[in-house]
Amino acid sequence: MASVRLDDLVEKAARRIAQKTSRRSLLARLGTVLAGAALVPILPVDRRGAVSRARAEAFAKTAQTTDPTQCNYWRYCAIDGYMCSCCGGGPATCPPGTYPSPSSWVGTCINPDDGQAYLIAYRDCCGKDSCGQCACLALEGEMPVYRPQLNNDIVWCFGAPNMVYHCSSAAIVGRV
Amino acid sequence: MSVRIAAEAVGAAVLVALLAGPLEAQERGIEGLPGEAVLEVEEEHTTAVLGEASPHWLYVLDPVFPHLIASKVYVVDGDSRRILGMLNTGYVPNMALSADGGAIYVAETYWSRGTRGERVDVITYYDGRTLEPVGETVLPRGRFLVVPKKPNLALTTDGRYLLSFNMDPATTVSVVDVRELRYVTDIEVPGCSLVFPTGPRSFSMLCPDGSFVDVAFEPDGRATVRDQEPFFDSEADPVFEHGVVSTADGRAFFVTYEGKVYEARPEDGRMRVVGEWSLLGRADRAESWRPGGWQLLAYHAPTDRLFVLVHRGGRWTHKQAGEEVWVFDANARRRIARIPLEHHAITLSVSQDEAPLLFALSEEASVTVIDATTYEVRGVVEGIGDSPFLTYVIGE
Repeated sequence: MASVRLDDLVEKAARRIAQKTSRRSLLARLGTVLAGAALVPILPVDRRGAVSRARAEAFAKTAQTTDPTQCNYWRYCAIDGYMCSCCGGGPATCPPGTYPSPSSWVGTCINPDDGQAYLIAYRDCCGKDSCGQCACLALEGEMPVYRPQLNNDIVWCFGAPNMVYHCSSAAIVGRV
Repeated sequence: MSVRIAAEAVGAAVLVALLAGPLEAQERGIEGLPGEAVLEVEEEHTTAVLGEASPHWLYVLDPVFPHLIASKVYVVDGDSRRILGMLNTGYVPNMALSADGGAIYVAETYWSRGTRGERVDVITYYDGRTLEPVGETVLPRGRFLVVPKKPNLALTTDGRYLLSFNMDPATTVSVVDVRELRYVTDIEVPGCSLVFPTGPRSFSMLCPDGSFVDVAFEPDGRATVRDQEPFFDSEADPVFEHGVVSTADGRAFFVTYEGKVYEARPEDGRMRVVGEWSLLGRADRAESWRPGGWQLLAYHAPTDRLFVLVHRGGRWTHKQAGEEVWVFDANARRRIARIPLEHHAITLSVSQDEAPLLFALSEEASVTVIDATTYEVRGVVEGIGDSPFLTYVIGE
């Protein structure tokens, strides 16, 4: 399953970070280059981490597909923050005057209408102060910040023109 | 008579009457009036200056989630349960206190036009008595923008150097000399996060494979990085970010999602894990008790007691507010008290004096003040900002 492969990639990246010695300095340089060149999105980033099918199914049991202003909207199975749908944007639209972050974390959510699993990119919209509407938080698979790709506290606006967090969106980027 | 002159005449009359009123009252001797009814004729308007910091003062950091650019730090007196003052701070700030509370160090981020324009990351030095900014040191490599976590910023054990964790997303630690108000360097420690001081010029960090890495530096910025072997399973049971490191008695405690405790000794510039025990007994597990919250641990060094926020819940409830505080004798490694909380709490601090107060911060912006000897609730301070998240006391 593609989601498993993606999760594997995330985990392998984490282990690479974990490995010590010379790779560490390599990664530091790599990270610097990525940040400087705004190529951050190729860093596999997943705030929720290895989201198992079982957990996605648990969310899908009470999820709905019609109202993206509610925390149980099907795409929000791994989201954290203020929902852009309540702020003048949508699940794949940043509110006026804000920028979608080129970096994102990824979850696998099941659409209860067709029973299919989809890859969701949780992109922060950046450049204005907190939207402050519709706060949602998912904790399943959430890890401390020393495993950053699995942590949901970070302002993921790396690579955006401005690092001020506004809201969180949830764009479909593929079918699993 | 023009209207203007008439108005001036009336104004003058009113002024005379205003001046005359209190004078007449004074001349009448104000007999029969209670003392508190008598106002000073000319009251001087002053600005308060705080006295020497009390161990019972609590510094409450509020990132103000709905308005992140408007964060604040409140100073609250645990004895009177009143707010003593406030600081304005920058975007998702972190703070640290000098040993006597005379200086408050805040790592903060600003943009020149509020939410846009040029970004600047600084350590700002605040006077602990006037709560005014008195200086700053720019952090040229920036700082980590994240929901504020205490171990993002720490002083070395002698209070000389401030260590600011940065992820951009490469990970470094910015070193600032707070005596000379001077940026020293950024130390690259790839992949590892947060800072836990281990000596006057050393600290440790947590790495994704479940290990500490030990870092030592020289005043000129040269650094050595020493790896350790993993001591916990970062896949199955990670330690919470908010461990406690007591400079006073050289002990540190890290707790895992599943309630395991790792005790470490910060010594010789290393964080050496020396013991492992569990917060939870079989009966506790059967009732689904587990640690959780945000700043979920506090340690009282004079009596070797560890305070932990716990709640009942399943896996992945690790940020849920605590229903109770459990108190552990860190030497006997056993629970000695349970304190139920009317206001469930995410963050704990305990004062480091001989008559300690325990402070439990709720998600509803209240602080429950508890006598940390008898475990009786002394009172609740409500309405401290919007979404306070971290608390600090002096001498931690």
